[in-house]
This record gives sequence, structure tokens and C-alpha cells, in this order.
Amino acid sequence: MASTKEIQNRINSIQDTMKITRAMYMMSSMKLRKAKQKLADTEPFFIGTQIGIAENLAHFPDIRHIYFDNRVEDEQETIKKRGIVVFTGDKGMAGAYNHNAIKLAQERVKQFSKDEYKLFVVGEVGRAFFVSNGYNVDESFRYSSNNPTMHRARIISEYLIDLYNKEELDRIDVIYTKMLNSVSEETCVERLLPLKTHKFLKEQAQEIANDTEGASKAAKELSEGTKHVHSINSYELEAIQNGGDSWYPFYPSLSTVLERLVHNHFTAFIYGAMVECSASEENARMMAMQSATDNAEAMLHELSIEYNRVRQSQITQEITEVIGGAKALKSKKEKGKRG
Amino acid sequence: MATLYNLKVTACDGVFYDGDCEILVLPGIDGQLAILAHHETFTGVVEIGELRFKDGEGQWHYAVISDGLITVYGDGSVKILAYSCERPEDIDEFRAQEALERAQEQLQQKQSRIEYEISTANMARAMARLKSVSRGK
Repeated sequence: MASTKEIQNRINSIQDTMKITRAMYMMSSMKLRKAKQKLADTEPFFIGTQIGIAENLAHFPDIRHIYFDNRVEDEQETIKKRGIVVFTGDKGMAGAYNHNAIKLAQERVKQFSKDEYKLFVVGEVGRAFFVSNGYNVDESFRYSSNNPTMHRARIISEYLIDLYNKEELDRIDVIYTKMLNSVSEETCVERLLPLKTHKFLKEQAQEIANDTEGASKAAKELSEGTKHVHSINSYELEAIQNGGDSWYPFYPSLSTVLERLVHNHFTAFIYGAMVECSASEENARMMAMQSATDNAEAMLHELSIEYNRVRQSQITQEITEVIGGAKALKSKKEKGKRG
Repeated sequence: MATLYNLKVTACDGVFYDGDCEILVLPGIDGQLAILAHHETFTGVVEIGELRFKDGEGQWHYAVISDGLITVYGDGSVKILAYSCERPEDIDEFRAQEALERAQEQLQQKQSRIEYEISTANMARAMARLKSVSRGK
């Protein structure tokens, strides 16, 4: 059994750690409040753009354009270069938050060779991981995930759209974490470019409509609600169902609207994803710190019981020794009297 | 009284306006564009500039809008999605002035194409803000 001194040391060290986790809990709960407010402010815009792009695409005529990746030269390409934007946090200690995003990104790139994909990582934790593990990461893409601003979202999206227009990328997916409610969050994948063509949307909507059991890939992805790389999301399904075939005029021209649609949607999505991510990160950190504090408390409880027991047994031992000594002395005296 | 329609303006920091509207005038790519009730369905581009609309009580509202998209729906309602939308009285004049000067300074330096485009857009936004602030005085 450990000595009282050792147990006392352990109790002290746990108490110190608990002070830190408790402080971190307070910090992240404060940051979470701010991030949640921002999320609530941004949500109508974020959802609005997704609905907007779905509606517009549902009315878009079938054209060949680089943004749909269906020009003749695009169809002849043998290698499609994928850009994957991964949102992670700048710091650890946030439970499984960073780990989930990293794991999903790893899963997505594992079947590709290094020249077939490129990772664009937002946040220090993810970047450090992917660089040190030898993934193909764009080194000049360095952005923090703290305090999302529109300005940063604009720079990121201009950078990526520029790469796409230079044909250095053929498609761009985004991996981000969405906050479902205060206890659960989900890592999502969404395809930003190329856009889905009207024909594709219609086929997918038809497939879902025909598929009453929900067994097909498209219906599955729709019902799971988080990963829409090969299929459509609920906004797009709704847009097609609400008279997607009717013709819309575009002002001032189709190509201007398309250009603006892509830039706006991209920036809005990046901004929305950043806001969602910062809220989820703080939430994950808050929960991690809460459970760390709880665990520390449980450990302290156990240790204090052990400490008391050890102390008690020590006292008992001392008393026994004293009594034993006194008895020995007494009997010695009696022996002396007799003798 | 003219017929009203529903107008919804959403910016990245919340819903700016959601309610009745009689006439909406917005900056388009080749000049201003007015939308009355029963406009045909269409999708269009909104430029950086000043937006104004008359609400159900005949009151004019002004706002500075940054670039976005407008959609007129079949049921007559109009939706605008833009990065930002502010009332002139909410604009910080000093901040806008600073942003304008910063953008001008950046434009004088050698920049990549992306940086150039971002700076020009920043400048346009700052100028639109300043313009609407000075007009309100």
C-alpha cells in the first residue's frame, strides 16, 4: 500500500490538473456562447445560399462549362485531380473533434495516389498531422480556424476557385463538422465544384422517387443527410420537386450569373463551414473538459478514501505498537518485582 | 395603393428584412433595376451599392448592399442573398474611410490577380458605404 505522502502528492497533482481543466471549461463555454450566437446569425444565410444554388441549378439549362466539368476536354481527362478542404481546429484537447475530421479525410484519399489529390487544411492540428504523415498537402494554404471572418472566407474561396479555373483541380470537396445540437455533432462532406447539372439532379430525384425502399445509393446518402458527394441533398430534391423544369431568365446573362453563383456559394459555404466548425470545436472542447473535470473528481474521491484508510491503518498500527510497548514494559516491571 | 409582395433580404450576419414591399430598387450590373409586384420569375446579379425599397406603409428604407444574388419566385416573392447589408445609420464612417485608404494603398502595390480583385471589391464596398453615409447627412 502506498504511503500517505505519496497519496497526498497524487491528490495535489490531480487538484492542479482539475484547476486547469475547469478553467478551460469556463473559457470554452464562453467562446461557445459567442460562436453559437454567430452560428445563429449565419444560419439563415448559410441555408439560404444552399437553397439558392439548388433552385438555380434546378433551372439551369444543360450547358457545357468548366464549372460543370463537362466540357469536351474535361470528359477526355483520364485523371481527375481532387482538392479536399479539411476543417480542423487550431488546438487539441477537444475530444474527438479533430480526430473525426482527419479520419474522414484519410478515408477519402486512401484509394488515390499522391498526384490525384491535394489537401487544403484549415487549422493547425490537421495540417501538422497531414504534413508529418506525408500526405500531399498544399503548403502555402495556411489559415487558422479561429474567429471566422468573411474576409478569410473570401480569400480561401478565391484561391480555390482560381486553382479550379487553372484546371489544377477538377473537383473540390469540403469536409467540415456540423453541430446538430449541443451534445452531438457530425462530420460532413459536401461537393462544391463541379456543380451538379440539371440533368443529374433530375435523374437523382427520379431515382429517389422510384425507390420506395430507400435502398439505392442516392436515397441512402440523402437519408443519412451528411455526405452528398455522389448524390443530391434535400434542398436540391425539394427544388426539383417544386417545378425544376420551368425556364428562368437570367439577368444580365447566364455566364455572369453562373460566375457569381459559384463565387457566392463557395464563399458562403466556406464561411458557414468555418462558423459551424468553430462552434463544434468549442462545444467538443467544453464537453471534453467537463468530463475531464468529472473524472478528476471521481479520482479524488477514491484517493481520499484510500488516503483515510491508509492513515487510519497507520494510526492503528502506532496504537498497537504503543500498547504493545507499554505491555512489554509492564510485564518486565512485574517480573522485576517478583524476582 | 400598389400591390405588395414579400421581400426577404438575407446577409451573412442575419436576416436584414423580411416583410412587405411595394417597390425595390437595386444596383444591377448595368445600372439600377426596379422590381414591382408581379415581376416575372428570374435570377439576377446584385452589385455593390445602395439598395432602397418602400415597405407596406409607404416608407422608404435604404441599405448598403455588397454583391449577391436576387431571385424572383413564381408566387411573386423576392429573395436577396448578399454578403452584407447595412442601414446607413449603422455604418461606421471611420472604419469605411480606413478600409478605403487601405484598399487604395494595396492597389498601388504589385499584387497577384486574386489580391487585386479582393482589393477592388473592398474598395467598392468602402466607397458605397461612404457614399450612403454622406448622402444621409
